Amino acid sequence: MDTQLPDIFQEKRLLGEAGDTFWRRALAVGLIALAASVALGFAAGDHGRSFFFAYAVSFAYVLSLSLGALFFVVLQHLTRAGWSVVVRRVAEGVAATLPVLALLFVPILIGLHQLYHWSHAEAVAADHLLHGKSPYLNVPFFVVRWVLYAVTWGLTVRAFVGRSLAQDASGAPELSLEMQKRAAPAMLLFGLTLTFASIDLLMSLDAHWFSTIFGVYFFAGSVVGFFALLAVLMLMLQRAGYLRHAVTVEHYHDIGKLLFAFIVFWAYIGFSQYMLYWYANIPEETGWFLRRQTNGWGWVSLLLLFGHFVLPFVALLSRAPKRNRKVLGAVAAWMLVVHWVDLYWIALPELRPQDPLPHLVDLTTAVGLVGVWLASAAFIMRKRSLVAERDPRLAESLGFENA
Amino acid sequence: MATAPVLLDNSHEDPRRRAPLVLGEPDFGAITEQVCAIVEKPKPPRAWYVAFGISLTLTGVLFAMIGLLFLQGTGVWGLNMPVAWAFDITNFVFWVGIGHAGTLISAILFLFRQRWRTAINRFAETMTIFAVMCAGIFPTIHTGRPWLDFYLLPIPNQMGMWPNFRSPLLWDVFAVSTYFTVSLLFWFVGMVPDLATLRDRAESRWKQILYGILALGWRGSGRHWHRYERVYLLLAALATPLVLSVHSVVSFDFAVAQLPGWHTTIFPPYFVAGAIFGGFAMVLTLLIPMRAYFKLENIVTTRHLDNMAKIILATGTMVGYAYAMEFFMAWYSGNPTETFVFVNRALGPYAWAYWTMVFCNVVVPQVLWLRKARTTPLALFVVAMIVNVGMWFERFVIIVTSLSRDFLPSSWGMFTPTWVDLLTLFGSIGLFLTLFLLFMRLFPLFAMAEVKSVMPQGGLDIGPHHGHGQYWGEIPRQHETQFAEDDR
Repeated sequence: MDTQLPDIFQEKRLLGEAGDTFWRRALAVGLIALAASVALGFAAGDHGRSFFFAYAVSFAYVLSLSLGALFFVVLQHLTRAGWSVVVRRVAEGVAATLPVLALLFVPILIGLHQLYHWSHAEAVAADHLLHGKSPYLNVPFFVVRWVLYAVTWGLTVRAFVGRSLAQDASGAPELSLEMQKRAAPAMLLFGLTLTFASIDLLMSLDAHWFSTIFGVYFFAGSVVGFFALLAVLMLMLQRAGYLRHAVTVEHYHDIGKLLFAFIVFWAYIGFSQYMLYWYANIPEETGWFLRRQTNGWGWVSLLLLFGHFVLPFVALLSRAPKRNRKVLGAVAAWMLVVHWVDLYWIALPELRPQDPLPHLVDLTTAVGLVGVWLASAAFIMRKRSLVAERDPRLAESLGFENA
Repeated sequence: MATAPVLLDNSHEDPRRRAPLVLGEPDFGAITEQVCAIVEKPKPPRAWYVAFGISLTLTGVLFAMIGLLFLQGTGVWGLNMPVAWAFDITNFVFWVGIGHAGTLISAILFLFRQRWRTAINRFAETMTIFAVMCAGIFPTIHTGRPWLDFYLLPIPNQMGMWPNFRSPLLWDVFAVSTYFTVSLLFWFVGMVPDLATLRDRAESRWKQILYGILALGWRGSGRHWHRYERVYLLLAALATPLVLSVHSVVSFDFAVAQLPGWHTTIFPPYFVAGAIFGGFAMVLTLLIPMRAYFKLENIVTTRHLDNMAKIILATGTMVGYAYAMEFFMAWYSGNPTETFVFVNRALGPYAWAYWTMVFCNVVVPQVLWLRKARTTPLALFVVAMIVNVGMWFERFVIIVTSLSRDFLPSSWGMFTPTWVDLLTLFGSIGLFLTLFLLFMRLFPLFAMAEVKSVMPQGGLDIGPHHGHGQYWGEIPRQHETQFAEDDR
C-alpha cells in the first residue's frame, strides 16, 4: 500500500501559452468553418433550411456535452464524491461554456421559421393538433423558456464553478458544504430544464410526435457524450504534460465504468422508447420511427444500435480495456462521434426523409461549433488551475485505487 | 457487550474526513456479540411473540383466502369487466417493487462504493427475498386454476403448446424468476462468513449442524476471502442490470398495451424509480423499530437514516417527475382520450385514490428536504409508512382507473374490492412479516463481516484503499458469552 501521494503543487496545471495557442487556433478554425457553413447554406438555395438544421444538430451536440458536464459537477457534490476531485475542474471548464452557448443560441432564433413548423401562424391555423399545442409551442413562450434555461444554467455554473475556484484561493472546507447544500435543488432544476430544452430543441422539430421518455433519452446521450469527452480531454491534457501524476489509471478506470454504465442506460432508454411504440403500433406514434427506418435511414438506426451500444458494450465490458488508455481513448473518441450521429438521427429525418447521408454543411457546422465551443472552454480555463487544488477531498482522490 | 456510550451524531459532514460508520468505537468482538445476540438469546423478547402472533394469524388469513379462492373461483374477488385486473396485479407490482431496495443496496451501492450500505444490506436483501415471494403468489393464484401454472414455463410437450413469447406476462415469469434466483444467491453468498461465525459460536448440536451445512465449510482463510470477494463483485455486476430489468418488464405489462394511462414510454424507468422509492420506504419501516428495540444505533447510525432518506427523496422526486411528464404529454399529445384519462384520474370517481397517491408520494416526502426530518427516526418512520401506502395506491390508480374508463363510455364500469380482496392483501403483509420475524431469529440480520470491514480496524482507512473489505480475522472472543447463564 503506497501512501506516498503526488504533490499537486509540483504538477503542470496551468494551460499557459499552449492554452492561448489552442484557443486562438480553435476559434479561427471554428469561425472559418462556420463562415463556410453559412456560405454553403446560402448556396443550397433552400432558404437556409439545411444550414439551420445542421446548426441545430451541432448546437444540441455541444449543449448536451456542456450539460453532461454540469450534471457531473453537481452530482459529485450531491454524493460527496471523493475519487473525482482531480478530474472535476476539467468538467467545470466544460460546463462553464454554457453562458457562451447562450450566445450561440441566437442563430436558432434567427432560423426558427426554417426549423420549426409550429412557428408558422398559417400552419397552426390549418392544423388542429398544432392549434391544440399552441399554448406551449409558440414563439414568445419558446423564447421565454430559453431565457429561463439560460438563467438557470448560468446560475448553476456560477454556484458551483465559482465556489470551486474560490476554494482554490481559500481552501475553505465550508465551500464544499455550501456546494453540497445547493446540489440537490440544482439537480432538480437541471432535470426540468434539460427535459424541456430537449423537447423544445429536438422533439418539436416534429411537432406532432411525442414521447414521455424523450427528456431522459437526451439526458442519457448527453452523459455518455460527456464521459467520453472527459476521457479524451484528460488523455490529451496528460499527453501535453498536464496533471501527469495526479490523474492515474484508477481515475480512467472509473470514467470508463461510468461511460459503460451510461452507454447501457442509453440503450435501455432507447429500447424502452422504441419497443413500446413498436409494440402498440399506433400510427401517430410510429410515424416518427418509420421515417428513421425507411429510405436508408434504417442504416443510421442500425449504426446507432451497433455503434452506440453493442460495440462499446463489448469493448468496455472487461476490466482491462477500461484501464488501457489507448483502448479507452479510442472507444471514447468513437462515442463522441456516434453521440453526434444520435442527434443527427433525431433531427435530420425531419428535413431530409429521403437522404440519410450528411451533407457537407452538416460537417462544417459541426467543426465550426465544436471549434468555437472548445476555444471558449480553453479561454475560460486559461488562467485557472486544471485541478481543484485545495479541495478537502483532494488527497482521497489522489490516493484513489479501485479495489 | 459494552454499555451503550453516548453516540455522537455522525450525520454532519466534514469534507476533510469521512465520517465513522460504526459508532462507540467497539471492537470486532463487540459487533459479533451485538448482532449474534439477536439470534442467540434463548428466548426472543416478548414483543417478538406479539408481532409473530399477529403476523402468523394474518398469514393464516392469507391461506384461508387462497383456499376460498380455489374452492369458489375468482368470483370471490371484486374484479370483473372492464376491470379484469385489480388487487391481484396491484399487490404483485407492489411486492415486486418492495423487493427492489435490497438488490439496489447490495449491488448498485456496492458498485458505487457506498460503504454505509454494509449496515443495512443484509436487512434489505432479506426483505427483497420475502417480498418477491409474496409477489410470486399473486400471478400464481389469479388464474383461479393454479394447477395449470406450469403452462407459464416453456416446457416441451406432446401437445405442441407453448406460452406466447410476445406477451410481457411471460417476460415477467423470466424476469422475476431470474431476479429472485440471483438475489437469493447474492444474499446467501454474502451471508456465508456470518453463518460460519454463528456455527463457531453455536452451542447446541443441531445448531452446529444447521449452520455448519449452510456455512459451506468456511474457514476464513485468505483464499476463501479472495474467492468470496471475487464472487461478490461478479454477482453485484450481474444483479445491477436485473434491478432495472425486473420492474421495467413489469411496466411492460401495462405499457405495451394501447390503453391510455398505460401506454407511455417513460414507464420503464418510472417504475424502477418507484420501486426503489417504495423499497427503501419498506426498509425504513422495518429497520427503525428494530434499531430502536435492539439498541443498534451504533451500527445503523443517524447517518444511515439520513442517507436512506435522501435516496427516498431522490427517487420520490423522479416519480414526481414522471407523474408531471405523463400529465404534460397527455395534454401535449393532443390525444383527447389520453387527456381524458388523466383528468379522470384527478377528478373522476377514483379521485380519492389519486389524491391519496399524490399526497403520500409527492407531498409528504418533501419534508425530507429538512435535515431534522431525515435524522429523526420517528418522523422518518411516519414518512416511510405513508410512502408504503402511497406506492400501493400508485399501482391501484394506474391499473384500475385506466381500465374502468377507457375509449367507450358504454363499457365503463367501477371496481369495488370484496372482503376477500382486502384480506388477501393484508394476509400477504402477514406472510412477509412472518418470514422476516423467523429470519431474524435464525440468521444474522446485519452483515457482521462487512460491517467490520468499514470499521477503522478493518484497515480500509489505512492508506489509499477503498473497496469491499479487507478482513483481518476475528478478534478472539472477549466475552465468553454474555448469555451463558441463560443458555441452559
